[in-house]
Amino acid sequence: MTAINLETVMLIIGFLMILAGCYCLIRTYHMLKIIIGIEVAMKAVTLFLILAGYVNGHIGLAQAYVITAIVLEVIAAVICAGVTIGLYKKYGNMDIRNLTRLKG
Amino acid sequence: METLVYICLAFLLVFCVMAVTSRSILKSAIYLAVASATLGVIFYLMAARWAAVVEVSACSGLVTVIFISAISLSKERKDDIHKKYDDEKRMRFLPHLLIIGGIVLIAAALFIKGFRVPDSTAPAAEDFREIFWNTRQADIFGQIITILIGGIAVSVLFRDSKENGDKG
Repeated sequence: MTAINLETVMLIIGFLMILAGCYCLIRTYHMLKIIIGIEVAMKAVTLFLILAGYVNGHIGLAQAYVITAIVLEVIAAVICAGVTIGLYKKYGNMDIRNLTRLKG
Repeated sequence: METLVYICLAFLLVFCVMAVTSRSILKSAIYLAVASATLGVIFYLMAARWAAVVEVSACSGLVTVIFISAISLSKERKDDIHKKYDDEKRMRFLPHLLIIGGIVLIAAALFIKGFRVPDSTAPAAEDFREIFWNTRQADIFGQIITILIGGIAVSVLFRDSKENGDKG
């Protein structure tokens, strides 16, 4: 049994963040809270990518992937926020269960 | 430097959990912004300076602005939100789950050899700009297309909601 190094601590923190994000996705009905859950899980994924680059020594390549991931994350958040506002204007609340009633 | 990374990692986890479990959605958005800023500091300390800049400006700045504008567009009463979604009650098992998960993962890291991440090697002499512009050109095209699709999608969504509002 040896002491845990910094990289392993990062891995553990990332797993716990993904757990928190997925739990939020499963348990809440508020659409903005769901986006926050996705964001939390995505942050862990970006941390993993940078960690992989840091361990292998290819931090430049990892940064290129992370920037792509961040762009996709922001676009996903923007589109989800647009859907949320549309949902609010249609039903008067941000409950995700209302989406099952949409037609067309 | 390692101590600072450990402190930032602790802050990152705490703020992420607070963002997920907070009763107020506005506070959640702000906690998420703080978590993004902390993650940016971690990236900077791990010599990923460009990723740190993008993380702080895009995730900590832009996403927070989007969330707060979406919250300000809704006029739900604060007292009703807790009753309607009951988030505090629904999320009450998360701290227990995280503590159990943390203990299991630490035990796995201590006793399973394959779980442990190896120490970092010396960074290769590579320039980020060289890789981003010359090696990963397809990513740049993909990003441009995604941003265009995002812009079109938002304009369509807002136009639809405006038309609905006019009809109503």
